[in-house]
This record gives sequence, C-alpha cells and structure tokens, in this order.
Amino acid sequence: MTFQSYNEADRSITRFIEQGDGDFETLALALHDLQARYVPAIAALCQNRGITPGSNHQIHQIPPIPTIAFRDMAITSIPEQDRIHHFESSGTTAAKPSHHWHHRKSLKLYETSLRLPFQKYVLNGKKWKGRILALTPLRTEAPNSSLAHMASHVLGSDTIHAAECCDNGWNINQHICDTACEQAILSDDPLLIFGPAFSFLHWLDATDTLHKLPQGSRIMETGGYKGRSRELPKNEFHKLLSERLSVPESHIVCEYGMCELGSQAYDREIGTRQERAFRFPHWAQPIIINPETGNPCAEGEIGLLRIIDLANVYSSVAIQTQDLARSVLDGFEVLGRDQAAEPRGCSLNLLQQT
Amino acid sequence: MRDTLPNYFLFDTQPEAHLTPEVIAEACRQLKRNRAQYLRDMPTDQLITHLSRLAGNWQDDLFPFRKMALDTGPSATGFSRSTLAHGLDRFFARITEDNLHNLIAQELGDCRRLDAPLSTPEERSENRLAFARGPELIGHIASGQLPCPTMMSMIQGLLVGSAQFIKCAENAGWLPTLFAHSLYDAHPKLGACIELAHWPGGQIDLESPLFDEADCITATGHDETLASIQTRINPHKRFIGYGHRVSFAYIHQDMLSRALSRDLAQRMAQDIASWNQLGCLSPHLVYVERGGAVRPEVFAEMIAEALDTLETTQPRGEISPEESGTIAYKRNFYEVRSAGAGDVRQWKSKEGTHWTVVFEEDPVFTTSCLNRFIHVKPIGDLEEMLRVAEMARGQVSTVGVAAPKNDTETIVKQLAHWGVTRVCPIGQMQDPPLGWRHDGRPPLGDLVTWTDWEQ
Repeated sequence: MTFQSYNEADRSITRFIEQGDGDFETLALALHDLQARYVPAIAALCQNRGITPGSNHQIHQIPPIPTIAFRDMAITSIPEQDRIHHFESSGTTAAKPSHHWHHRKSLKLYETSLRLPFQKYVLNGKKWKGRILALTPLRTEAPNSSLAHMASHVLGSDTIHAAECCDNGWNINQHICDTACEQAILSDDPLLIFGPAFSFLHWLDATDTLHKLPQGSRIMETGGYKGRSRELPKNEFHKLLSERLSVPESHIVCEYGMCELGSQAYDREIGTRQERAFRFPHWAQPIIINPETGNPCAEGEIGLLRIIDLANVYSSVAIQTQDLARSVLDGFEVLGRDQAAEPRGCSLNLLQQT
Repeated sequence: MRDTLPNYFLFDTQPEAHLTPEVIAEACRQLKRNRAQYLRDMPTDQLITHLSRLAGNWQDDLFPFRKMALDTGPSATGFSRSTLAHGLDRFFARITEDNLHNLIAQELGDCRRLDAPLSTPEERSENRLAFARGPELIGHIASGQLPCPTMMSMIQGLLVGSAQFIKCAENAGWLPTLFAHSLYDAHPKLGACIELAHWPGGQIDLESPLFDEADCITATGHDETLASIQTRINPHKRFIGYGHRVSFAYIHQDMLSRALSRDLAQRMAQDIASWNQLGCLSPHLVYVERGGAVRPEVFAEMIAEALDTLETTQPRGEISPEESGTIAYKRNFYEVRSAGAGDVRQWKSKEGTHWTVVFEEDPVFTTSCLNRFIHVKPIGDLEEMLRVAEMARGQVSTVGVAAPKNDTETIVKQLAHWGVTRVCPIGQMQDPPLGWRHDGRPPLGDLVTWTDWEQ
C-alpha cells in the first residue's frame, strides 16, 4: 500500500482512528514511505540508511526520529507558510524546547486522537455531568502547551482553570483549586481534576487541603515533575491524592503523552479493576527497543520506548523517546529513575544539555 | 565477597546485615581504639614499606586479590577484565616507596614530619620545629564508580596515621573492600583501622554517628550533596568536599602533523577508554585546532579507529540499560543531524554501543553521556576554546593538552587563570601522579593539623 498524497493518508488514518478500518502495520509503513518523501530529516535519514520506499517490512524497521531532534529541526511535512501553530515541550527554561508543527488539518486529526481515548479512559464513554477543574492555564494563555490545548479541547468551556502563566511555565492558584472542590462538595457534583503531577503537588504541598469530594469524582494526572516539585513514586503520589481529596485510587488515571506525539496512553480505564499499564489506542503502538541491538526486546526486558503513532501524519510516524520501559500485560510500564540504575560517572546537572 | 573472604568489614555482610546508628557508632569507636593501639605511632618508613609492598603485589598476576579482582571484578563492577587490569596496573604502579616519600615531603616539607617535630631550613632560622598529625578518624563519603579515588583516599589516610570509615558509593564498594581485605591479609593491624559500608544516600540517621565520631569528613559528589553534608557537620570539624568535575582535551594545530596525529589519537582513545570514561578526569570532549596538516574531522576519525582497536584489547564490557539507552538515543539524534547536514559526523562500533565518536562543527561545550562516547569539535585557538567552554568554568578538573613544548607554559598559565586545576599530556588524563592536588587542594596538607614548637 502506498499513499499518493497527504490528503489520502489523512483520510485513511482518520477512518482507521474513528472506525478501525484498515491494518495498523500497513498504514504505518505506507505513512513512513510518504514522510520519507516530504519530511527532509526523514528523507535524509532514509538515504543515510539506504532505505527506499517499500524496503521496510516491519514497523520496528522504520527509522525513528528521537524526540530531541524536534528541538533542532522542523520535523514536519508542512510547508513553512502553512504552519499556523506549534506545541512546545515543557521543561526547564534553560533547555531549548521541542517544536511540533501543525496546520488546520493536522490539528483536527490531533484533536480526534485526543478526544476518543479521553472519553473512553477518563469518562467511561459517557457524557460528563459534573464539574471540571484543570490545573493548566487557558489555551489562549499558553497556546504552545499541548496539555493546555488538550484541556481546552476535551474538557469544554465550563472548566475552571487554576493555573496562571509565569516565566517558568505556570503557577497554581491554590485558592481556585480549593474553592472548586468546596463548590463541588456543596452542590454534591462529582469533580474531574486534570493536570500534571507537579501541579497537584504545588497545590497540595502549599495547603492543608483535605476535601471529601463527592462520589464519582476522578483525577487524570499526566505524570512528569520536570524538576518543578518534589518527586514521588506513582503509588505514593496516588495515595496522597486519594487521602487528601477522597478520590479512590480506582478513579485516578495516569496519562502518558508528549508534545512530539499525536496520541496518548492511559494506564487504566477509570473505575475498573484493570491492572495499571499504559495502553495506547489502536492507532499507536509501543515498541520496547534493546539499545544494544536496535531490535525489539524480549517480553519484560527493559529497553528504550519507541512509539509508532499514526496520528503523527504530518511529522514522524516513529518517535524514539528517551524513556526506559518494559512491556507488562497488554501495555507497557515506564521506569522511573528510582527503578532504573543510577547513571554512573561524573556528570554535571548544569551542563547536561541533551 | 562474603562467600570467599572473611567478614572483616561491614560491607562484607551487606545487604543482609542491617545497619543501625549504634552499629556505625561502635564501629567508629573501635576504629579509634585500633588506631591508637596500632597505627598512630607506627613510623612513617614502616608504613610506606607496607603500602608499597602491597601495591607491588597488586601488580603481580599471581597475587590472589588481584586474581579475584580480575576474575570476579567484571561481574561485580561492570568493567571488563582488561579495563580493570589496565586501570589497576596504572594505579598501583604509582604507589612506590619513592613516590610515597616524595608525597609526604611535597606536602609537609619533610617525610619524617609525622614521626617527630623537626624543622625545615626556613623554620630553623626562626628557631622552631613543627609536627604534623592526621585526624583520629576520617569519614569518607565516596561517590562515583571508580575504585581508584576511594583507594587513594584510604592510602592517604593511612599515611597520616588516621583510622578511616568509608561509606562506599552504590555499586562501587567491591574493589575498595577487596583492597582493604588485601591490606588486612598483609597487615591485620592496619586493616583493623579501616571500615567500609554502604547505605543509600540521605540516610541521615546512619551518617550522624559517623559525623559525630569522625574529626574529619571528606565527601565527593554533586555540589548540592556536599552543601547538604556540610550543614550536618559540626563547624569545628574539618570538612573536605570534592565536587563532580568534567575534563576535556585540547589539541594544538602544530601537533596535527601526519607523523604525530595517529599516535596522538591512540593516546586520546586510551584516555576515553580508561575506566570507561566514568571518572572526573576522563575527557567529555576534544577540542581540535584548525589549521594543522590533519583536519579536526580526520583526527576524529582516527580516534574512532583507535577506539575500535581498543575494543578488541580492552573491551568496554556491559553497561546498564539506562546507560546503553542514553547512548542509543544520542546516536539516533546525531544520525538524524548528520544525515541532514554536513556539519556533523558520527562513527560508532559496528555492533552494540561500545564506542561512539561525534564530530560537530558547532564548538559549544558539550558533556558526554560517557561509557566511551566522545565529542570532537574544531576550534580556532585557545582563546576561542575558553570562550565557548565558559559554561563549564569553575567545574573543570583536567585539560589534556597536546601542544608544542615552547607554547605549553603559556597555555598552562591561561588555563590556570581560567580555573583549570590540572593540565597533563594526552594519554595520562586518568592517571594523575600520587602528588596530584585534587581540585587544586593539597592531598595530605588538607588532612593534617600542625603543632609548632618554638624553642
């Protein structure tokens, strides 16, 4: 299968996302061949490896683009004049952020890819009837944050935003958070709280907040501390959320995403007893790569997480992350620094640029 | 280790044995008693003879502790047998009688200063004598993966007659403990003045008794770690902190002749391969001046060839998934960059992540992810190098320099004023001499306390 144009690829992949119509591997290989024609960095990489259209037969053979390359290069097929938007990686101000470029069509596809898993994993496929608190700024205030974009898109206009932009990202207004909780309790409406882990800690560490949120309340946290707060192992973090907000752990879901990806993984469907493991929707697949051989790891072996993401139609279908992971159940587990070996040797935190 | 050697040290019984503050405190007190009985009044000459003989034994292939280090070391430390052999040989070759005498003389003015009050000619003119004594108990908080800095601290501590408690770094206590066993085997009384243990960083309850009992604490680690340790030590006690440092190399254009450059590249490769580049003295990058007969890019390729050859004689060995993952990720990045532009080139081992050389035209200072991953960058001259390396200023230990003899003194002075504390030839970056002043500080002078005797 080959795509003659991006319009054709966009249509086929949207159909696959919405209706499951097609074969993942065939679409991924065809998308890569298209990108190898139109994305200069991928074209050069293929030429360097002697890869010609049709020469890859398995998705792990698709040459990946490492996330860090999005800092230095425009990994996109979108001509400069058509780029209307970009998402940036969040991180320290010292590091140059990644740029993931978009135009109208790519944003539409991105939003489709955001919405469907959010509805399934966080809302159990139902319309949300409670209140919503986002620990992110408004999309208009942080236009380049993919998380703020996601919040605005999937949560709707009634959402209370408790974050205010500052030089180093955003700050949490604890008063707004506590008020939103108190109002939910008063009206006995379940509350959905959405935000990155560090924002939850900024709120909870700064206050004595202890709320008994109404039944059905839920939390979606996106992990990630980025050095902005103290760091907690996932189970301790969830325990803290549960104790302080009275949201049972079954109603806390963790999301894995990054600005270089069009798709996100979730570690359980809220309210179910499903074992925690990150699972992508059917249009993205993780591959754990053995860094020594470059081939997929054996079951349960630790390696580098690579994601084949069909929602990345206009950038790179294969994204190489720097995360260590291993496959568990029908998904994967990202290994935190506490589980991975301590890096050896002399290094200086201040100097680690890449 | 416990299976083959007696449980002399706390480290031998770990992880099964549970360390408590009481255990640490009692170990410290016992060390001090042993020191008073066996070590404090041992004549320096005798101590030097013991230490130099032991170092000589460590270079003998038949010495059982060396055999154990090379046989079991690869699985215990992650370093390959040949990397260990090379590193240990270079380390112990420095521990000779002459060098030990010279070290004390360099530091204290006379090598008998620790035995009795005596005077240098300058002191004699003032009619005074002076006597140096080491701390009763030194507590070492070690970090990093290399055994040599810890073993060097142990030797220096013994030289000044101090008992020592070493808190080993994670996964790095095996070789220093083996060395302590060899000392115990040769001289049980000296061995009884040393203790080694490991516990995860930040366990304040275990560190407190050590900080209370010791009268001198040395620590290696990140600046924040050192600052945090210092706040927990009584200000009247001596604290010697060594921050993590980086090192790099500078190749002058006149050394890039066709006759010299290949040999230079081989020595550069040895600096990269020694201890798998994991020490503060290992190079993160090589600045190569433009204008030589051999272009910087060609020199980078020569280093790659030399690393490839070294992999057959001194293989790197296995590393953790996190380390190899970082290398694979960075290789992927530089592959994308080199494919898209002509200003980046990458050479790498055919299989695995054993070695990598990245050449970039952009001269900005870059740190390496180590384990034989080196950056090579062209540079106009020394001034430009110091300008682009500004971000690392104050955190650089060693600069390996290859330059014509006539220019070297000027280069050394410039580097010194910029903040570099050690300059050495290429090929010796990981082999500082015994008298090396770590971070520019006197190795024994920082430990001792003087008593002046005016007559």
